[in-house]
Amino acid sequence: MTRPTAKEVKAMADVAGLPVDTDVATRIANSIGPAFDAFAAIAGTLPFDLEPSTFAVVQAEKATQ
Amino acid sequence: MSSEPALMSLASVAKAIADRRVSSREATQSCLERIARWQPHLNAFMAIEAEDALKAADAMDAALAKGVRCGVLHGVPVAHKDMYYEAGKVVTCGSRIRRDFVATTTATALQRLKDAGTIRLGSLQMAEFAYGPTGHNSHYGPVHNPFALDRITGGSSSGSGSAVAARLTFAALGSDTGGSIRMPAHFCGVTGLKTTVGRVSRAGAMPLSQSLDTVGPLARTAEDCAILLGLMAGADPADPTAISGPLPDYAAATTGSVKGLTIGVPGAFYVDDLDAEVAGVLDATIAVFRREGANVVRVELPDQRQLSGASQLVLAVEAAAFHKRWMIERPQDYGPQVLMRLQNGLAIPGVAYLEALRWRGPALAAHLAAVAEVDAVIAPVSPVAAPTIAESDVGNSPEADKVLQRLTRFTRPINYLGLPSLAIPSGFTRAGLPVGMQLIGRSFDEATLLRIGAAFQRATDFHDRVPELK
Repeated sequence: MTRPTAKEVKAMADVAGLPVDTDVATRIANSIGPAFDAFAAIAGTLPFDLEPSTFAVVQAEKATQ
Repeated sequence: MSSEPALMSLASVAKAIADRRVSSREATQSCLERIARWQPHLNAFMAIEAEDALKAADAMDAALAKGVRCGVLHGVPVAHKDMYYEAGKVVTCGSRIRRDFVATTTATALQRLKDAGTIRLGSLQMAEFAYGPTGHNSHYGPVHNPFALDRITGGSSSGSGSAVAARLTFAALGSDTGGSIRMPAHFCGVTGLKTTVGRVSRAGAMPLSQSLDTVGPLARTAEDCAILLGLMAGADPADPTAISGPLPDYAAATTGSVKGLTIGVPGAFYVDDLDAEVAGVLDATIAVFRREGANVVRVELPDQRQLSGASQLVLAVEAAAFHKRWMIERPQDYGPQVLMRLQNGLAIPGVAYLEALRWRGPALAAHLAAVAEVDAVIAPVSPVAAPTIAESDVGNSPEADKVLQRLTRFTRPINYLGLPSLAIPSGFTRAGLPVGMQLIGRSFDEATLLRIGAAFQRATDFHDRVPELK
């Protein structure tokens, strides 16, 4: 997963029904870019059967130990 | 007993009222006198309800005279962050959009504190929609730090931190999605408890991020936080994410010492890029724990930057989804910084958001494995003490992200993992600014954090320092 460009941000905002101008799209791309960079090593590596609810399962397991 | 009841802790004033050494009216009047003196300088309250508070206090005193005690906090006056719904009351959420919103239900956490006998002083300022870590609010003005009026309080529970520190309320509810309880606790020199996701019902609390939001108290001591958590925690039919099951006696936990406990100090990330005075307070805090009999060891945590990145992806999308209708219909009614941050969520693909949520379980398991040999991890809440209101008033400028990210660097990973964290006043800078440390625990193990925090507060007096109005 790579950080979105300003052009891609603009397209996604349009799809979301909240169009933004080029300056705002550039600002958003710069703002969220570091989060994408930080998560890049994880993105695309998760096992097939992993569901978001695993979080609650891990919480509960540890709480009962 | 202090001649000024407002200076007492929550636990002390509750006992004094129960023993009829102090009346609820005296406690309430004392808070109201301090509010009248401090509010023009702090801007900590959104609404002050003096007359209603005194009427409620009189009713509590009359009930007690007849032998009726509502609960352990009978007659104790408090105020909360203005995002907890109370039926019939205006709840602004720190926003222009909800300036006139009247709640029709009461938040479960708030109701449980009311059932225990608390009375309402008013409501407390906050960052707009709880989406800001500094304490600025473009609609209602910044909240000021009682220890230095030109400094920030931290946010988003800005009024809660400021009001508790100045002894205007005995305690206050805050909320913590990315650090919003711990940062005001750190910057204002009070104790703040971020609870485990699922520990306290969020029903009737304004949402920001359904995966990360937590309800918790800010108060003067760990013991006070323990009392409040004991009242609020547990299952709630109105919030299926609130976990059922037996609860520990949190107040009893605060009587324990740290002897035999092991506290972990991270070898990286939380000790990097610290202001020298914050680093000094961390070292001094560790020394206190050693002196009190704790075993202090180094821990190697998984990559915290990845957790922080995942946390931001989740928060941005969920916040944008909650706000989308108003972003379409009323964009002009948001403050510039809040609108800017909400727009970030528009640019994150659904797959990236879900990957961030799917990784949460393995990330928590990896963290718990890394801390298996320790009872808690200690870390600074923020790399710096409170900056000035002027220098952190970055609005939606290009440097805003850098400023905000630095302040929340040490809090966001914990929200992603859903862990409990107790922020405790741990020292002061040479300029007199408070510095707090956070104790990070295992899921649902708030009791151990409260035990460690209370032991630290028996050994130190940082939590007892009362700011003076100059």
